[in-house]
Amino acid sequence: MKKYTVRLTLNGTPREYSVGANELLLNVIREQEKLTGTKYGCGIGECGACTVHVNGKPTLSCLELAVSADGADVVTIEGLARGGELDPLQKSFLDNNAVQCGYCTPGMIMVGRNLLDENPNPTEDEVRTHMRGQLCRCTGYASITKAVMGAGSAGAFRMPAE
Amino acid sequence: MLSTEFKSVGDASWRKDGIAKVTGSEKYAPDVSVDRMWFGRVLRSPHAHARIKSVDTSAAEALGAVCLTFADVPQTRYNERIVSTPPCLYRDRTVVADKARHVGEALVGVAAPTEELAEKALRAIKIEYEVLQVITTMEQARKDGAEPIHDTVLLDGKDKPIVNNVAVQRTIDVGDVEKGFAEAEYVIERSFKTSRIYHAQMEPKSVVCRPEIDGGITVWASTQSIHNTRILLGQIYDIPLSKVNVKKVMLGGSFGSSIQMNSVTPICVGLALKAGHPVKIATTREEDMHDHVRYPSEIKLKLGMKKDGTLIAGEMHANIDVGAHNIQAFPFLGGLGGFWASLYKLPNMKYVGTAVYTNKTPSCAMQGFGAPQAHFAVECLMDEIAHELGADPIDFKLNQYVGLGGTFWGQGPASKCIIRSDGVPELLKTGAELIGWDKRPKPGSQTGRMRKGIGMARGFHTSGVGHAKASGAEMIDYSGAIVKLNEDGTVDLIQSLMDHGGGTNHAISKIVAEELGVPTHMVGLSPCDTRTSLYDVTTHATRGIYAGGAAALKAAKEVKAQIIDWAARVLDVLPESLVIEPDEDLGQGVIYCPNLAERRMTVGELARYLHLNSLGTISSSQSMRQVNCPPAYVSYFVEVEVDTDTGQIHTRRAALGSDCGTVVNPALASGQLIGGLSKGQGYALTEDNQWDPETGELVSKGFWVDGKTPSMSESPKVGDIDTHFAHTYEPTGPFGAKGLGEAAKNPAAAAFGNAVYNALGIRFYEIPITPEKVLAALAAEKSTKSRQAAPKAPAPVAE
Ligand code: FES
Ligand code: FES
Repeated sequence: MKKYTVRLTLNGTPREYSVGANELLLNVIREQEKLTGTKYGCGIGECGACTVHVNGKPTLSCLELAVSADGADVVTIEGLARGGELDPLQKSFLDNNAVQCGYCTPGMIMVGRNLLDENPNPTEDEVRTHMRGQLCRCTGYASITKAVMGAGSAGAFRMPAE
Repeated sequence: MLSTEFKSVGDASWRKDGIAKVTGSEKYAPDVSVDRMWFGRVLRSPHAHARIKSVDTSAAEALGAVCLTFADVPQTRYNERIVSTPPCLYRDRTVVADKARHVGEALVGVAAPTEELAEKALRAIKIEYEVLQVITTMEQARKDGAEPIHDTVLLDGKDKPIVNNVAVQRTIDVGDVEKGFAEAEYVIERSFKTSRIYHAQMEPKSVVCRPEIDGGITVWASTQSIHNTRILLGQIYDIPLSKVNVKKVMLGGSFGSSIQMNSVTPICVGLALKAGHPVKIATTREEDMHDHVRYPSEIKLKLGMKKDGTLIAGEMHANIDVGAHNIQAFPFLGGLGGFWASLYKLPNMKYVGTAVYTNKTPSCAMQGFGAPQAHFAVECLMDEIAHELGADPIDFKLNQYVGLGGTFWGQGPASKCIIRSDGVPELLKTGAELIGWDKRPKPGSQTGRMRKGIGMARGFHTSGVGHAKASGAEMIDYSGAIVKLNEDGTVDLIQSLMDHGGGTNHAISKIVAEELGVPTHMVGLSPCDTRTSLYDVTTHATRGIYAGGAAALKAAKEVKAQIIDWAARVLDVLPESLVIEPDEDLGQGVIYCPNLAERRMTVGELARYLHLNSLGTISSSQSMRQVNCPPAYVSYFVEVEVDTDTGQIHTRRAALGSDCGTVVNPALASGQLIGGLSKGQGYALTEDNQWDPETGELVSKGFWVDGKTPSMSESPKVGDIDTHFAHTYEPTGPFGAKGLGEAAKNPAAAAFGNAVYNALGIRFYEIPITPEKVLAALAAEKSTKSRQAAPKAPAPVAE
């Protein structure tokens, strides 16, 4: 099969891959880079476990061909903590016990981070709308909602104004 | 109980695996890869029921692939869940099947240097099938002349014929049920149905096997028990256990679906041994959805009572569809009957449980194991009786539940214990206050489009399957732990017990810290495997903290005794005079003599002293079985809002209570309850699986969204869920703790059913209560009302 060269900036480092036309971004990240924080949950866009940032936008890497990401800036969960410091959202997930089995966690954090970048102080409804495509079977979502709001500029989950 | 008298137990520390999980560095089975690894794929049957006439793998092999067919695997049948003892273990599996019994049945394993080549080779395999009658219902299966799905199974070394596709039947009799019903002044009988939902754990099952140079194997697999996986693989492939090493990797959720060795695990091992290469099989979501579901049930429940509602007799017939393989129907049926017996006092009862084979995805354990099914029937029926008698369901249930001093059946007739801690009255009182129970509407009194209702259900799960008998157990139940003191005063806890995500391992590290008197952060959770750890049966039956925690506590006690003993010599005081307490400023445990202030040293100083003077390592390795199985009580109050135009039911509020004894991880425990509500909501309202009656195909074809797992936007809002804990102390549990996990879901479906009744005045006896069912019931009620016929809720039958 014909191979294509794909260049990415991955977690801040320029990288180059030779891939088939049908290779998924998810597989490049997980298999070539061995960055296994990005999860396979369904492979067809149902669960959100594979979410990464492509040029700052949350992207389902199981639905993205590697060739179509050529030239992109890609950030995975491993690229979020900088210089040994956890991202405030990662800390908030721990403070709010928003992690159980943890399999959905990387995708959740990537989507939550994107929401906070666009909207530093989201309401509960905004969190629920933004994250409704991310499945979690363990937590029932309340702790995750709290964690995302807790990492916002208000610094805590707040009840909606009556 | 939320206790302040403990230092580590109940603290709010970050879970120990938390940083790895939020940074993506935690390793789950699908994340494992080793050098020179090949990739495996599995050829699965497109037919629900077919004999295999021939298999031709030559074209696949010509491509460079290695194939594993029925002819290549050991022919002795096994059961993949070796929690039950041999007389209770129905064996009907082989590594790959001799006959297709459900769509998705594994028939041939294929391995090749790349996954792409493995898939190509798989498609080159030719199988000739002789298609047989497809059986998708229990009625079809039991008809005379129905095609047998299994002719025989292996039970305790003997071939047991299977008649009319009945996999197993179990009866339990207590007292004299006929006499009981004869004395009853009221009798009520209802039929309930629960669905065959998918576990929907986020991690699809995966496995890596590396053959070792000494003839052994190293295996990384999704599993709830590394030791049972090891024992089975050793048995199947005839490898001494000392050469079978199964590594502990994190579970990406499971909910019971990895209590058995996953079907791909022995296939991967067979391929690796044949190829002489490490092999990895990472299943797809579609494959996973064809591999396991929850036991569904059809329950007929009849209760006889005195005029005031005092129960005197009960009869239950439970039929369960096990699908194509009997993974654990015998313990399941025992569990279902035993949980029923433990809900309300019934002097006379008769239980008949029947498990039937069909050509569908095999059923297996899922959070609650018979309890959600029993709770749905019993808690809905008790609510109905209370309403008919004009009693408050809370009082009605409080008067008759099995509580303090009563007998609890931990999992069927073989595990029973006397109840020694009971927070039920407190749970129901608090829950009722939080939800506003007294302000709930009168059933059927509302007329608008949106109608709200509050429902209550209570129940429990067991904490393990411990029992006092020395032999003759139906189930294996013990755990081990190794605790050792490192040279700087930190502690390693080595335990094979798996954490489903609830925080069990973290909780146990706190139990060890509490006992040793060191800060929580000083106890580390060691990576381990079957070669370096003691046996643990499996993380099931809500036994993690209660049974696994108790084993670790036993080891910690021994370590503490040694620490005190050595410290007494070093400090020149009597051992009895010493105490150890954590000192947060020093970040160490401090050993001191309260009467002689200067006689003190840190645990780290002692450890260093022992090390530098070659006095040895302080450690303990302990294994134990709990002899009790206390109920972890739980209470559910939910408020729903029914849209009578669309039939949709929204979960608006919930008050969830747990009596887990001492709460070891408070925030995580509350998270367990909320997670239980989420899965309970799915079970009660949306989730289901259908199989095409003609072809036996899963109608969803493996699309997850069709399973209707609840999403964030369908869940109640943060401020609308309350969780609370009873102030109890379980005398047989580590620091007073008992279980929680599975209890968190068990009464959910009944609470939803009762809430919908409260909103609409209509009883639903079948879950999920989908919009279609709601609309049909509303339409039926309307036509009934317009004809002014029968009363809307069926009344008890006077006999
Ligand atoms: S793996 Fe990409 S959405 Fe599920
Ligand atoms: S924490 Fe397990 S799936 Fe979300």
